[in-house]
Amino acid sequence: MDDAPAPLDAGHMPLPTAADLQDNLMSATNDLDRLQTLLADACETLMQRFYGASEQVRSLRDATSAANADVDPEEIFQGVLQHLGGAVTALQFQDMACQLIDHTNRRLRNCADTLARETFGQDEEGATVVTPAPLRPNPVTQSEMDAGSVDLF
Amino acid sequence: MHSILAVDDSASMRQMVAFTLKSAGYNVVEAVDGQDAWEKSSSRDFDLVLTDQNMPRMDGISLTKKLRDNPKFKATPILILTTESSDQMKQAGRSAGATGWLVKPFDPAKLLDVIKKVVR
Repeated sequence: MDDAPAPLDAGHMPLPTAADLQDNLMSATNDLDRLQTLLADACETLMQRFYGASEQVRSLRDATSAANADVDPEEIFQGVLQHLGGAVTALQFQDMACQLIDHTNRRLRNCADTLARETFGQDEEGATVVTPAPLRPNPVTQSEMDAGSVDLF
Repeated sequence: MHSILAVDDSASMRQMVAFTLKSAGYNVVEAVDGQDAWEKSSSRDFDLVLTDQNMPRMDGISLTKKLRDNPKFKATPILILTTESSDQMKQAGRSAGATGWLVKPFDPAKLLDVIKKVVR
């Protein structure tokens, strides 16, 4: 059964406008895809650096404790670990950003597909397939990178 | 050495969880979603499961229910680490049998404290 609506007439939305709008929405989704890739790459590089840094600090602790009795290597070590821990918390922006982007992407894709279906109806290949919009609000409600709550049941 | 199953569809989150846990001396097995975790849990035991909630194929709450139905994981601590912070979702996690609900982003020191508390 074909339930695709008939194309709108020009009084509702001129075809060039609709095409422009669709182009813009598609560009936005492509840009979001690119951003997601960039974020993933940045995060992977940072993590490799953190692994390297923590190994270096461990070596430094061993060397310092053997050579200089005035410094407390354990105190230095704990301070560095605290900083690295804060960095690991902050680095989780990538996961949240990706969830936000994915959610937005699906909404935009739904807009683009709906617009195409409403405007152009169906072509020789059949009705436009409309990507479903997300059913729930975005689960990411955090707006900063402070550590989240802990509930033990 | 305690063995932990870390489940998250985000590669970066898995890396950060693994980095934190391995640095503290835990053995970590990673799974990319609930289904992968379920398959990995059939072949070996874990002292703790740390899982994300929103994942393709099988989410964290469904994984928790399935693990709790398996006598092998009846008493295993299961922590859900997620961006979801609504009371409704937390309640659903609790009803499924989760041991705790941690909202992302996690603080490595706090995460290790919680794990120390629940792992026997």
